[in-house]
Amino acid sequence: MFKKDSDIEYLLGSKQPSTLPTKPFDSLVCEFLEIFSKKLNLIKNIKNYSDLKTLSFWCRKGNIYNLKKKYFSEETRIGLGMIFHITPSNIPTNFAYSLIFGLLTGNSNIVKVPSKKFNEIDIICSVINSILNKKKFKKIKNRILIVRYKNNDSFTREISLKCDARIIWGGNLTINSVRKFELNERAREITFSDRYSLCVINFDKLPKNNKDIYKKLALDFYNDTYLVDQNACSSPHLIIWYGKNDKEKKKLFWKNVLDVVKLKYDLSERLAVEKYYELCNQLSTSNNIKNEKRYENLIYTLNLKNLVIDMDSFRGKGGFFYEFNTSKISDITKIINKKYQTLTYYGFNKNFFKSFLFDNNLKGIDRIVPIGKALDIGLIWDGYDLNKFLTRIIDIK
Amino acid sequence: MEKINKYLELSAFSLNKEKKSKVFFDLIKSLTRHHYNNSAEYKKILDVMLGNLNFKSLNEVPFLPTLLFKNSHIKSVNTDKVIKTLTSSGTSGNSSKIFLDKINANNQTKVLNKIISTTLGKERLPMLIIDEKPNLEDRSKFNARRAAIQGFSIFGKHHTYLLNQNGKIDYSILNNFLQNYANKKFFMFGFTSYVFQNLYEKINNKKLKYNFENAILIHGGGWKKMENKRISNFLFKKKLFEKLKIKNIINYYGLVEQTGSIFIECEKCESFISSIFSEILIRDKNFNIQKPGERGLVQLFSILPTSYPGHSIITEDIGEILPKNKIKCNLDTTHFLIHGRSKHSEVRGCSDV
Repeated sequence: MFKKDSDIEYLLGSKQPSTLPTKPFDSLVCEFLEIFSKKLNLIKNIKNYSDLKTLSFWCRKGNIYNLKKKYFSEETRIGLGMIFHITPSNIPTNFAYSLIFGLLTGNSNIVKVPSKKFNEIDIICSVINSILNKKKFKKIKNRILIVRYKNNDSFTREISLKCDARIIWGGNLTINSVRKFELNERAREITFSDRYSLCVINFDKLPKNNKDIYKKLALDFYNDTYLVDQNACSSPHLIIWYGKNDKEKKKLFWKNVLDVVKLKYDLSERLAVEKYYELCNQLSTSNNIKNEKRYENLIYTLNLKNLVIDMDSFRGKGGFFYEFNTSKISDITKIINKKYQTLTYYGFNKNFFKSFLFDNNLKGIDRIVPIGKALDIGLIWDGYDLNKFLTRIIDIK
Repeated sequence: MEKINKYLELSAFSLNKEKKSKVFFDLIKSLTRHHYNNSAEYKKILDVMLGNLNFKSLNEVPFLPTLLFKNSHIKSVNTDKVIKTLTSSGTSGNSSKIFLDKINANNQTKVLNKIISTTLGKERLPMLIIDEKPNLEDRSKFNARRAAIQGFSIFGKHHTYLLNQNGKIDYSILNNFLQNYANKKFFMFGFTSYVFQNLYEKINNKKLKYNFENAILIHGGGWKKMENKRISNFLFKKKLFEKLKIKNIINYYGLVEQTGSIFIECEKCESFISSIFSEILIRDKNFNIQKPGERGLVQLFSILPTSYPGHSIITEDIGEILPKNKIKCNLDTTHFLIHGRSKHSEVRGCSDV
């Protein structure tokens, strides 16, 4: 199938995967995922890999069953054929979700994993491999190819022309470089580009002192941010405190976050210096910083004078947050553009956001979820319903 | 500034730790005030980060990250006073921009002279430069390497380049240099990776008519490329001795942000040492001070930077101050090791990094 494959590492599956579609939520696929979930959960050291645990939990029988139920519709749908996944370089488990989405929607999959080596990838591949070696799952094996390569334009070109859909998980640089390679006329493409996310906390609904609530909120916030070095598209960079300013509540929130971060987060020296650089850079160049507060070297918060139109260029890594206090919803709506992805919240009724979105004709924000759910990936992501996007509808009358 | 001028008259290792620390801290404190008063950017940073400028010890003096010099144009003099702009060799993306006025540039030369003369002596020596002969018409390439070569050239005479403009060893020029000067003490200077590449990997012994026994080799500029070749300082010395019989090899550590006040190697202790013009602290990832023997991020002080606020900087390098029991020489100063760059953390997330 491939002419030049000297620099391509075939991690698992079939070198010549099928290109034919099946019905979505095929029972063999569901069974495969159920076994995968169980086996993954049994690997040694799983407790050291919270992302593998999450993946295992995501694939559990109950969740797949729920997804299947949710997916069910009157329409007749079938997979597209073969999907080419180009997965992000820095979230080690993302390729597995992308692959699972492809399998569930009835597609065959060629998945390019990050060229940087991650233990998580090796572990996932070896678990999948051990299942696929069983005769029963031969059909599934024929629908998966996982490859690792750095720069192999001829491979990218060839598969791009062959596939029925291409999924590119950004950065924008990656997207633009892959977009140079043409797709087949009928093929479709989803690009998950760089996005910006924010968090809104309602002062009024935050109790004055309730240890349990603050503790849970802090852990949830940690999971949205530090768990991925605050570098996922859905990790917030901007925290909006909504309502009448209450310094004590704010302090209590960050103190609790600090407790979790101290316990769980391993800040590298390099990231510490980079974070400190960003602080000095902002302080020396921006006129929009009211004050800064650092909680040890683990949390940096910069209090803004105003929310500015290009807020989405103010980003932090490894625990670096911009803060703003307002009681005016229009302060928030005016900054939102199509770069905005996830809004995590505390202390709001979700209906509040429905009117917020429609009344203001917002071009951005694809997800509104409680704090703690920022990284919960699913078949609905970034404004797409992958159930629909990765299948075609057959109109039978 | 007068206090600094007076201090600059002292020789490089003339004060013991105790005597140095008080004066040094005092100078760093007044430099902090000087930059606070003269650099708007520096003032903005300190205004937000600190309540006041009353520090009780060196530990409390604020530091700027070297990354800041790579990405912004921060200085403490008017642009019309700037006579020279230094840029780092910039192997990774952006390069540092250091703005020098006349005083700052002169002081760099003065201090480098004081430090180097402790190993080379006061007299100028014939100098073999382990680098390419520069193309004088192309002045745009005035990077840290060029700056270092120019800085060290004041210790030499009969300056001769080992490599021609195409980067090839010119054996006739080399043999000519050795014939004239190798029978007595002479001086060689180059960047660590250049020295190794040319004086060890490339040089052909058969084409040499004279030897390097009388050479004093001073080299610096970092071990990043050498790490890939798995060459330590020990191996570096060993290999150069085996190949060319060079006995006298001195490594130095210095950053373009603090040109001049370099740290030379103490041969006995196999470590770098600070002169009275510079100091080092080691900090952990929380920026807390590490004890001697513990590794961490390197913070450097120098009393030289007056035209840009680089007198207290935190680097991306990992180092360690030697504990007392590992010091073999009699020099009462800070001894330290550099363990290379902090590793690029595998930052997670889906954005391009």
